[in-house]
Amino acid sequence: MTGKEVSITINGEKKTAEVEPRMLLVHFIREIAGLTGTHVGCDTTNCGACTVIMDGRAVKSCTILAVQADGKKITTIEGLSRTPGKLHPVQKAFVDKHGLQCGYCTSGMVLTSFWLLNRKKKVSEEDIREAISGNLCRCTGYESIVDSIEEAQRNLEKEGGYTEEEIPVRRGR
Amino acid sequence: MISVDLSEKMVTGKGNFVDDINLPGMLHLAFVRSPYPRARIKSIKGGITSRDIDMKMASVGEGASAGFEYLEHPVLAKEYVGYVGQPVAAVYSENAYEAEDLVDTVGVDYEPLTAIVDPEKAMSAEPMYPGLKSNILADRYLGEDFQVDAPVVIEGHFVNHRIATDPIEPRGIVAAYDGKRLTVWISTQSVHTIKQGFCEVMKLSPDAVRVIQTDTGGAFGLKGGFYPEYVVAAWLAMKEGRPVKWIETRSEHLLASRPGRGVVGRMKLYANRQGRILGIKGDVIVDSGAFAGGSGEFSSRFIAMQITGPYEINNARIHALSVLTNKVPQGPYRGAGRPEAAFFMERMVDRLADELHMDPVDVRMINATREPFVSPTGLTVEASKPFLEQAVKAMDYNGHRKKGNVGFGWFVLVPATMPGETARILVENRGIKVWLGGTAHGQRHDLFVKSILADELGVDPEIVEWQKGDTDQLKEGVGAWGSRSAMMGGSALVEAARKLREQVEKKYGKYSVARLLDGKWDSYEYFHYDKPYTSLGANLITVSTDRYGRVKVDECISYYDLGKVLNMDNATGQNAGGCAEGIGQTLYEGLMFDQNGQMITSSIADAGVVKATMVPRYRLILHSSESTLPSKAKGLGEAPTIGTPVALSRAIEVATGLRITDTPINPEYLISAVREP
Repeated sequence: MTGKEVSITINGEKKTAEVEPRMLLVHFIREIAGLTGTHVGCDTTNCGACTVIMDGRAVKSCTILAVQADGKKITTIEGLSRTPGKLHPVQKAFVDKHGLQCGYCTSGMVLTSFWLLNRKKKVSEEDIREAISGNLCRCTGYESIVDSIEEAQRNLEKEGGYTEEEIPVRRGR
Repeated sequence: MISVDLSEKMVTGKGNFVDDINLPGMLHLAFVRSPYPRARIKSIKGGITSRDIDMKMASVGEGASAGFEYLEHPVLAKEYVGYVGQPVAAVYSENAYEAEDLVDTVGVDYEPLTAIVDPEKAMSAEPMYPGLKSNILADRYLGEDFQVDAPVVIEGHFVNHRIATDPIEPRGIVAAYDGKRLTVWISTQSVHTIKQGFCEVMKLSPDAVRVIQTDTGGAFGLKGGFYPEYVVAAWLAMKEGRPVKWIETRSEHLLASRPGRGVVGRMKLYANRQGRILGIKGDVIVDSGAFAGGSGEFSSRFIAMQITGPYEINNARIHALSVLTNKVPQGPYRGAGRPEAAFFMERMVDRLADELHMDPVDVRMINATREPFVSPTGLTVEASKPFLEQAVKAMDYNGHRKKGNVGFGWFVLVPATMPGETARILVENRGIKVWLGGTAHGQRHDLFVKSILADELGVDPEIVEWQKGDTDQLKEGVGAWGSRSAMMGGSALVEAARKLREQVEKKYGKYSVARLLDGKWDSYEYFHYDKPYTSLGANLITVSTDRYGRVKVDECISYYDLGKVLNMDNATGQNAGGCAEGIGQTLYEGLMFDQNGQMITSSIADAGVVKATMVPRYRLILHSSESTLPSKAKGLGEAPTIGTPVALSRAIEVATGLRITDTPINPEYLISAVREP
């Protein structure tokens, strides 16, 4: 199979590689960039464990080909906090509010929450549940995740919001 | 203050799951699976087949019973296939995509046979395999036969369809061999079960196998077992002298991982007109799948034993049947027989209440026991009436009943206490490491481990590190399943901590944290326990329905006897997750088959794993008590999966006027209750 060269900027770092056209973005992230915090859960875009931020949108990286992500900017869970040793307010909220049990869905949950809280200022519990309805968790029953996202909203308010230039978030649809 | 190491690791993507392991020279394994539910294999061209690996699976792990050699699952199919998804051949490559491609290069010639799909019909169908007398795998009666003169006799037929365990992380393994020793990294509930499986199936000596647990992304019963793919991975690693990885896809999971439930109940209840239950008879029929060795043969007996629930019923006679069908072998899924027993009994009690125009809780009260009771099927129940009185009050049943559509259900939780559990505490370099024989797979044992050692040793929880399973670090152990970890693992840890205290006292005359941390200590304990230790629980649920017949769960309240709560975050988390799974079973979750035995459930969404929009907030109210175990804890993990479906089913009956007999409840059935205004 002939390869195709793609360059994808992941967490601010440009990765260039020749890949098979059928390679999924999630495998580029995990195998070529070596970032294993992005997980594969279902292969059918249902579970959201593979969620990353691509050019400002939360996307499921198991349903995007690496070649489609050529030239794009990706943020994975490893790149959410840009301050070494310090958790991003959303990450901190998931720790403080016990927003995980096994941890497998967590990267996707955190990134979807990050995306939600950055495109909408005030979110209700209903908004939160709707926003994470594409991310499945089998352990928590979602309650502690909803609590974490509410806490993250408070964290972001306190810290004056999160206006990270490297991680733009598109507003609206 | 509880240290949050594990949480921090997970929120920053630093978990180490089995698919995250990449070793130099690693091969990727993929499987050729049967497309037929039942067929004779005429020939196979290509791939690793039963000609290479002519082995049968061992019966190990949760609920496994041995002695069915003839019906044990072959590692790779030989002559016959018994279910869609059964591993027939294996292929491998250095590249996972290529391994998938190679699946298509293997040619298998099948002669399809008529599949046996319905467990009730399977009992009289022609035997599935040549040489087999019938498709009945296990056949036992529990309780003495009886005759009663009862003015009220109610019959019911119930089904809990099969459910995929569906942890968000599928199964997976990495196997490596250095010429002397097999090392595997695996997502599991018990490294000890996995090791035993390798030793028995591949005839390896215990010294020649090391099993290391990776971060485990949920399991729910699935990963307490030992599977054919693991043997193939190990065999290939040993043959090629290279590491081998196999990661399950979700479609493989739905087809070929052991699912839970899949049980039919045919019940007949005898009562007087005052609501007193005079006896219960019935059949419990477990859809065991195509081979023995899962929990299929054990679970019919286990369910039958629990049928009488928290009630004082003096006559019970239950026929426990496990039946072979052309489906993947049944396995444990959170609850594992407990929810089925409660569903069958509680549905009957609600029907009795309706028949007599009584309040369902009043009927329950009449039949509850003031004294500890052993039922005719062998279930030990503590005095359930005082518990029920307190539960009804604490959950404000009467208040809820006045407001709307309320369902109440209660149950006896029978944790898998036997045969106990192991723990090891290692103190060195001023830190403390802990291993438990049953390994957490997402329930956060790290939290209660810290709490126990803070209590027993007076140490700062920050320095206590819970360790994942490793058979080189802890030689013996059982597993994390059956609501047992806080009870058995917790008690082993308490005993190990007390031993450690004694060691310090013996050396220094007096125990102090400083003396403990200055030294190097290693304390191991096998806490043996050979009795059942049951506890009581109750659930209350309210619902509303819309004009499309859709059900919304408004309130979900649990009232449980947990003994001493070792860690409250642990307890509320276990309750919440279990309630969501109970709601899932009742309304959404099921693996469905067509009449030819083909599964028609094709994704995790089809399989019905609940989304955040489908579930309410949960409330856990504690019934205060302490257990007599060293950890003082009682069981929890499975409680909400038992209580939620019964309470929810009743709430839906009240809301719709429909009779709920099957889970998941068919949406078409729900919409039939909607009347045009």
